[in-house]
Amino acid sequence: MNRSNFFIAWSMKMGSPPGFFNWSTKWCFFIGLLSFLVLTVGLIWGIFYAPTDYKQGDIYRIIFMHVPAAILSQSILLLMASFGFILIVWRAKIAGMFVRAAAPVGASFTLLALLSGSIWGHPTWGTWWVWDARLTSTLLLFFIYTAIIGLYSSTDNKITADRSISLLSIVGIAIIPIIKKSVDWWQTLHQPSTFSLTSSPSMSYEMYLPLAICVVGFYLLFVYILLLRLRVEILYRERDTSWVKDYLNQRIG
Amino acid sequence: MTNKSPGVLDWILLIIKRDLLISSKRSASYITPVAFFLIIVSLFPLAFGPEQKQLSSMASNIIWIAALLSSLLAIEGIFNDDFNDGTLEQIIMSGEPLFLLVIAKVFCHWLIAGAPIVVSSLLAGIFLYFSFENILVLIFSLTLGSLLFSLLGAFGGALSLGKSPVLSTIIVLPFSIPVLILGTSCVNASINQQDYIVYLLYLGSLVAIGLPGLSVAIATSIKINYE
Repeated sequence: MNRSNFFIAWSMKMGSPPGFFNWSTKWCFFIGLLSFLVLTVGLIWGIFYAPTDYKQGDIYRIIFMHVPAAILSQSILLLMASFGFILIVWRAKIAGMFVRAAAPVGASFTLLALLSGSIWGHPTWGTWWVWDARLTSTLLLFFIYTAIIGLYSSTDNKITADRSISLLSIVGIAIIPIIKKSVDWWQTLHQPSTFSLTSSPSMSYEMYLPLAICVVGFYLLFVYILLLRLRVEILYRERDTSWVKDYLNQRIG
Repeated sequence: MTNKSPGVLDWILLIIKRDLLISSKRSASYITPVAFFLIIVSLFPLAFGPEQKQLSSMASNIIWIAALLSSLLAIEGIFNDDFNDGTLEQIIMSGEPLFLLVIAKVFCHWLIAGAPIVVSSLLAGIFLYFSFENILVLIFSLTLGSLLFSLLGAFGGALSLGKSPVLSTIIVLPFSIPVLILGTSCVNASINQQDYIVYLLYLGSLVAIGLPGLSVAIATSIKINYE
C-alpha cells in the first residue's frame, strides 16, 4: 500500500462515525492520562517552584492558567472554522460533530480566560475590568461563541445546524483580525493604553518553561474533553444504528 | 413565439423591482426604522440632560448606536417573508449564481431600511448640535456603515431563517462592533479636527471585503437551509 492510498484509507476510517469511535476508545484514555501528567508537572512547577515575580508578587501565578486558556480560546475557533470548512466543502459528517462538540469548550475557555484575567487584574491594575484592546476583543470572541451555541441550539435539524454553525465560525475567524485591529485603533484614539499585557517585563526562563508546559497540558486537556464530547455526540446521533445498539448492549449488558 | 429564458440580469432587475414595489405598498418597512432611529436619538438628551457641551461630545456615538439598533430592527424583513411564502425557493431554483441575487436583495434592503436612516441622520445631527462639516463626515461614514450593517444583517437573517429574530441580533451584534468602533472613531476624529479620512478608508475597505465575502456566505447559508 503506498502512502496516498494509506492516507485515503485512514481518512475514510476517521470520517465514518463507528471508525472514529473505535479509534478514539483507545486514544481517549491515553490522551487524558497524558494531559493529567503534563498539567500536574506544569502547574506544580509553576505554582510552587517558579520564582516569585519581583513586581507583582505571587498573584502572577494565575498566568499558568490564564495564558493557556487565552491561547486556547482563539485556537479552538480556528479549529472549528477548519472543520467547518471540511464539512461544507467535503460533507464529512464527523467534521460537523467536531464543530458542534468544540463550541461550548471554546466558550468555557474564553470565559476562563476572562475571569482569571479579571481576578488577576484586580490586585495588579486595581480594577476588575479595563476596556483595553485585548480584553475587549476577547469579550467579543466570547460573544461569537455564544452566537454559535445559540444558533446551534435553536435549530432542530442537526445537519442544518452543523452547517450553519460551521459557516458562522468561518465568518467568525475572518472577523477576528478585524476586531483585534479595530479595537487597537479605537483604543489609541480615545486613551493611551495605560495597561498593556505586552509591555510587562519579559519573563525569565524559570517562569517561561512551566508556562510552556502548562500550555501543552491545556491543549491536551482540550483534546481529551473534545474527544469525550465527540464520543457522546456520536452515540447520540447514531443511536438508531445497529453498531451503537451493539456497543451499548455490550457496555450495559 | 420566441421563448427567451431570463438571464441573471433579468433576475436581478426582477428582484429589485419586486422588493421595491412590495415595500412601497407597505409603508411600515421604511418608516419604522427611521422612527425608531429618531426616537432613540432623542432618548439620549432626555436621559443625560440637554446640556449642549455634554451632548455634542457624545453625539456621534449616540447616532451610530441608534443606527446600529434600527438596522437590527429591520433584519427580520430581509429574508423571512420570502422564506415563508416560498419566493426564496424560487430564487434558488432560478439556477443563477445566488450570491449575485443576494447582492440585489441586500441592496434593496439597504435602499429601504438603510438609506432613510442615513438621510435622517442629517436631522439627528442638527438635534445634537453638529457643525456642517461634521454632518458631512457623519453622512459619509454612515453610508458605508449602514451598507455593512445591511450585509451583516442579511447574513444573520439568512442563518436564522424561520427562527426567532432575537437569534439573528445575537449573531449580528459581535460582527457589527468593529463597524461601530470605526464609525464613531471617524466622526470623533472629525469633531476633534484630526485625520478622519483614514477611518473612512478602513470602512470602505471593510465594504470591499464584506460585499463579496458576506454575499457568498449569505448565499451558502440560504442553501444550507434548503438542503
